[in-house]
Amino acid sequence: MYRPSVRMNDELGLELRAALAIARKELRMARRYPLNLVNEVLQPLYQFLLPSVLLGATFFVGGRAVGLEENTGTTDLAGFLFLGMLVAGLVATGFWELAFSFKREMDAGTLEPLFLTPTSPVTLVLGRALSGMLIAIGASVVLLAIATAFLGASISGAVIVAIPALLLAAASMVGIGFLVAAGVLLLREPNFFVDSTNFAFSMLCGTAFPVLALPLFLRWIAYLLPPTYALDLIRVGGLGTRPLLAPALEWTVLVALAGVSLLVGLAAFRRVEHHMRVRGTLGQH
Amino acid sequence: MSALADLRAFWAAARKEWRLLRRYPTQFLGFLFWPIALPAAYVFQARGYAGDSQAALDAFAARTGTAEIAGFLFLGWAAYMWISMILWGPGTALRTEQVRGSLEALFMTPASRLVILFGPVVSQVVWALWMFAVVGVAMTVFFGVPIGAPAALRALVVILVAVPALYGLGALFAAVVLRFGEVGALVQAVRGVFTVFCGMTFPIIILPEWARAVALSLPPTYLISDLRKVMLRGADLAELVPDLAVLLVLGLAICAAAVIAFRRTERHARRGGSLAQY
Repeated sequence: MYRPSVRMNDELGLELRAALAIARKELRMARRYPLNLVNEVLQPLYQFLLPSVLLGATFFVGGRAVGLEENTGTTDLAGFLFLGMLVAGLVATGFWELAFSFKREMDAGTLEPLFLTPTSPVTLVLGRALSGMLIAIGASVVLLAIATAFLGASISGAVIVAIPALLLAAASMVGIGFLVAAGVLLLREPNFFVDSTNFAFSMLCGTAFPVLALPLFLRWIAYLLPPTYALDLIRVGGLGTRPLLAPALEWTVLVALAGVSLLVGLAAFRRVEHHMRVRGTLGQH
Repeated sequence: MSALADLRAFWAAARKEWRLLRRYPTQFLGFLFWPIALPAAYVFQARGYAGDSQAALDAFAARTGTAEIAGFLFLGWAAYMWISMILWGPGTALRTEQVRGSLEALFMTPASRLVILFGPVVSQVVWALWMFAVVGVAMTVFFGVPIGAPAALRALVVILVAVPALYGLGALFAAVVLRFGEVGALVQAVRGVFTVFCGMTFPIIILPEWARAVALSLPPTYLISDLRKVMLRGADLAELVPDLAVLLVLGLAICAAAVIAFRRTERHARRGGSLAQY
């Protein structure tokens, strides 16, 4: 007897197993290049965090970040920046590990064979998202430990309350990763596109500075990005900063925007994938 | 091979690189986007740090010697981007030839090693000038930092004095490429050292004493500091003579080290037959 629900569950289970297998494969590959893993921590530290902390110290009055306190309600400069890095890591995973991975497959000539396997392309992306986000979160935890041990950051235990916000930010970045992946498939020479949009997206979310420091027209764009609210809730929990909106409203907007990102991203990706299958352009780059 | 023939080879190498660059027009967007977006992000960051606090702004002015936050940051990042281009330049050019399989053939030609090293980099000089121009326009138009012609000319002199030191560093990296094949991680690490110590986003006066000593041994520190002095404080070149002398001496020392390193690595590669390996 035909039982569609059971069959659907089986298919979902298979796709889930495939996603986990892909994530395991990516993590195993990452472990083979330990220097790259060390770089996940060192590169943001010396290329962004330390120069930013030192710039902040230039504005200190009597050893206190009085200007930052006026803008955000905290004087904990290192905590503010290193929590920002947590979300910046998720954003970078969305852009580079999800979206740009298609470019790597294109260059290796394996994109077309990959799309011919019975595994859904969506599952391929989800598997990579899982491994990428695990690495990003691991690197951020190490960075936070460095900030606490050497730079005087003091993150409150209340930050745990904001962990669901981090998960919602991760879900929204999967959606945005799908959207950017659609662009990658269409553009074929997407380095500048991915690099510049990742940078702009990360900055607009407030990973490096309070969103209130942006000009008004850019602030409105920031308010449309789900990680803006996730990061704000994390900083409210961890540092006691002033929230951008009432926290209840921020949670609501975050849930809604994460859902919209996933739906729009997935739809755009499927549409472009279908278009490329019909035109037979998957193997071109 | 005569000097004239070398010069022609140099020009041909530069033209070839320029032609390759033209084939990838999206790179042109990058040369417009990054010189504005990267420093602008730090200007917003500085605004976040300053808030409306006059005391914080006064603290910045006291430590840096200027109240021009945007000018201070744009000049620091302009120097950073130029240094990045140079560090990647000669090494990447050699690495590209290695990957294409043409490096060995290139070393068989009678052209001077200087042509092989710096010919492809000439096309980047155009981009360096373009980048400084974009930074200047962005500083003036978006952030209202006034730039006069005399200050711009003095800045050009500072840039020219820094050329031997920075291109010497580029040549040293090229030697590393020939020896080890891959240079990405090393370039990232050295760029990191420059970013943390040379004061791209901050005055080195806020560093601890040991870190300041490290900063004063690195050429980019003098380049950045002197660019800020002439552009933001109206300093004339006579005031900068001690700094410029240090920059020149460092430049000559680095160039000499680069020549020795490059010759040794080339000899090693020829003997081991590793020019074509990667």
